[in-house]
Amino acid sequence: MKMVTESEWEVNVPDKQLKDKVYFENLKSVVIDTEMCSRCLTCAAICPGGITVVNNKVDFPDYETKCLDCGACVRVCPRFVYEPKSGLGDYIEFTAGRSKRFAGQDGAMVTEFIVSAMEMGLIDRGLFAGRDENWATEMFHVRDSEQLTITTLGGTKYTFADVLPELKKAVMFTKSGVGVIGTPCIVSGIRKLQQEFPIFREKVKLVVGLFCTENFHYDDISNFLKAKGVDFSKLVKTDITKGKFISTMTDGKVKFKVTEAEDIVASGCNVCTDFTAVESDASCGSVGSAKGFSTVVVRTEVAKKVIEFIRAKGHADFGDADPAQLDFLIGHKKKRAENIKR
Amino acid sequence: MKKVTVPEQSTVEKAVRHAAAIGVAVKESVYPLTATVQYPRQRKKMPDNFRGYILFDPEKCINCWECAFICPANAIRMKEAPNKKYYPTIDYGRCIFCHFCIDSCSGGALRATKIHDVAYKDMDEMLTLTEEMIEPPEIIREDKKLVEYQIDEKDLRLKKTREEDNLIVEKAPPPVEIQMVSQCIDRASCIGCHVCEHVCESGAISSSIANGVMRMKIDTDTCTGCGLCVKECSMQILTLVRK
Ligand SMILES: Cc1cc2nc3c(=O)[nH]c(=O)nc-3n(C[C@H](O)[C@H](O)[C@H](O)COP(=O)(O)OP(=O)(O)OC[C@H]3O[C@@H](n4cnc5c(N)ncnc54)[C@H](O)[C@@H]3O)c2cc1C
Repeated sequence: MKMVTESEWEVNVPDKQLKDKVYFENLKSVVIDTEMCSRCLTCAAICPGGITVVNNKVDFPDYETKCLDCGACVRVCPRFVYEPKSGLGDYIEFTAGRSKRFAGQDGAMVTEFIVSAMEMGLIDRGLFAGRDENWATEMFHVRDSEQLTITTLGGTKYTFADVLPELKKAVMFTKSGVGVIGTPCIVSGIRKLQQEFPIFREKVKLVVGLFCTENFHYDDISNFLKAKGVDFSKLVKTDITKGKFISTMTDGKVKFKVTEAEDIVASGCNVCTDFTAVESDASCGSVGSAKGFSTVVVRTEVAKKVIEFIRAKGHADFGDADPAQLDFLIGHKKKRAENIKR
Repeated sequence: MKKVTVPEQSTVEKAVRHAAAIGVAVKESVYPLTATVQYPRQRKKMPDNFRGYILFDPEKCINCWECAFICPANAIRMKEAPNKKYYPTIDYGRCIFCHFCIDSCSGGALRATKIHDVAYKDMDEMLTLTEEMIEPPEIIREDKKLVEYQIDEKDLRLKKTREEDNLIVEKAPPPVEIQMVSQCIDRASCIGCHVCEHVCESGAISSSIANGVMRMKIDTDTCTGCGLCVKECSMQILTLVRK
C-alpha cells in the first residue's frame, strides 16, 4: 500500500469474480450460497453498510441500495479465498492446566489466560461470550477479574457468539489492547482483519482459540435440546465429550450421541478442517488431558509470556497432555470435509 | 481562652476616630461607592461575547446535530422541520448558557445575543422552538441608563451614560479562530467505503479508481473542518487537526 500524505492515500480494491455485481453479491455467491460460510461475522464487523445475520444466515437486507461496494467484506472473509488449515499447527509448548482461581468448562485456562494478560498489562479488556437465561450468547467486555463472578461468562456455549462485531468496538475503545476468545473460524477472521488493517494488528494483542468440531445455530440447538427434555431454566452446563452431548441440569443430566444432532450442525462447520485453531496465540480444549484440565497449546511468544506469568504467580496447576489424543478429531474433521466436497 | 481587651484610648484619640467615621458617612451620602446597578431602570453594559439568549439561522445549518450532541445539559432537541431537515430547539429550563452549541456550530447557524432577561410564564414556555429562535425574543426595556464598571487602582466605579445598549450583537468579536481540517491517521486501515466523501458538505473529499487502486483525497483548502466525516468514518481513522 502506497501512501502519499495524511490527506491523500490509496486503498487496494479487491478482485471481483462477478464483475458487474456489488461485492456483497460476490461474497454471497462464493461463500454464503455455497454453504461455506462459517458465520464468523468478520464481514459484519468490517461492513460499513449493514451485513448482519438473518434467519441464521449472514445476509444484507437491502444490499442493492445499501451496499457501498467497498469490498471490505471480501477482503476479510476467511473463506472467500479459502486456505483451509488443519492439524496441530506449530507450537512452543503442549501442556495441560487447571486454573486455581476460576471455574470454567474444563480447567478454565481460557479465562486464566485472558485475566493474566490483563494483570500483566498486556491488554485492558477481554471479550467473553456469556449467555442469557435462555442460553443465547451475549458478548461482555471484561475489564476486571471481579466481573468473572458472573458465572455464565466461563464455559462452552454450543451456539454462535457475535465475537467479531464486538471486537471492532473493543478495538475502538481500548487503550492498551484487547484479548479475545474464539472458535477456529473466529480466529481466522481476526487474523484476516489483522492482515488487512493495521488498527487490528496494533490493538488485538492476544487471541485464544478453542478446539472445535462443530457449532450450532441457536434456534436449531435450543429446539433440539428442548425436544430432548432439557429445561433451560435448570441448565447449568453443556458439554460434548467422547461423542456424547451432555446437558447438566440442577436435577439431572440429559445425554445423547452427538451424531443424532448431525443434521443441525451449521453447514459452514462441515467444510472446516481446523480443529485446533492453528492461527491462535494459544488454543485450549478438553481432549488431550485429564478431566478437569484444559489442554493448552502455546503457539506464539506473546502466549508464552502469559503462561510464564501464570506459572510464576502460581495461578494454575499443570499436568500431562498428549497430542496424539487429538488425532481422532483432527482426522474426523478432515474426512467430513472431504465427504462434503464429494 | 484568650480575652480580648479594648485598648486604652485617650479622649483625643477617641474624638479623632469618631471624626473619621463621620467623614466616611458624609462622603458616602454625597458620592456613594456602591456597585449595585439599579436594574431595570439601569442596565449593565455586557461585553459583546456575553453568553446570552441564542439565535438560529436555518439557512446556515448543515444538520450535523453537533449542538445537540455537545449540550452538557441536554437542553437541545432536534425536531423535524417541514423541509425534512432537523433543527435545534432549546429548553431554557435546562440551558446553562455555556454556549458550547454556538462554539461547536460549524455552519455558524447559532449566534449569541446579550439578552439575559426573558421572562416566562411557566416551564413549558421555556421550551423554545426553532421558529422562535430565528428572531430575538420580545423583552420590555425600561432602562434609561447604561452602566459600565470601571476599575481604577483603588476602587470600582460606575460609569453611567444615557445610552441604550443594542443587545443584538451584529458582529461578535471574532473568536480566536482555529482552522481545522480532516486528516486520515491510519491510511492503511481505510476500507475504501468513501462514506466520508458522501457526507462531505463542501466537496472536499474525493475518490477515484484506476487499475484496482482507489485513491482518496481530502482537499485541505476546501475542507471546512466541520467534522462530519470524522463522525461517520466506520473505522474511526479520520480526525481533525489544526490547519
Ligand atoms: C462450539 C464449540 C465446540 C467445541 N468443541 C470441542 C471439541 O470438539 N473438543 C474439545 O476438546 N473442545 C471443544 N471445545 C472447547 C471446550 O469446550 C472448552 O471451551 C475448552 O476446553 C476451554 O475450556 P476452559 O475451561 O479452559 O474455558 P473457560 O475458562 O470456561 O472459557 C471458555 C470461554 O470460551 C468462550 N466461549 C464459549 N462458548 C463460545 C462460543 N460459542 N463462541 C465463542 N466463544 C465461546 C467464553 O467466552 C468462555 O469464557 C469447543 C468449544 C466450542 C465453543
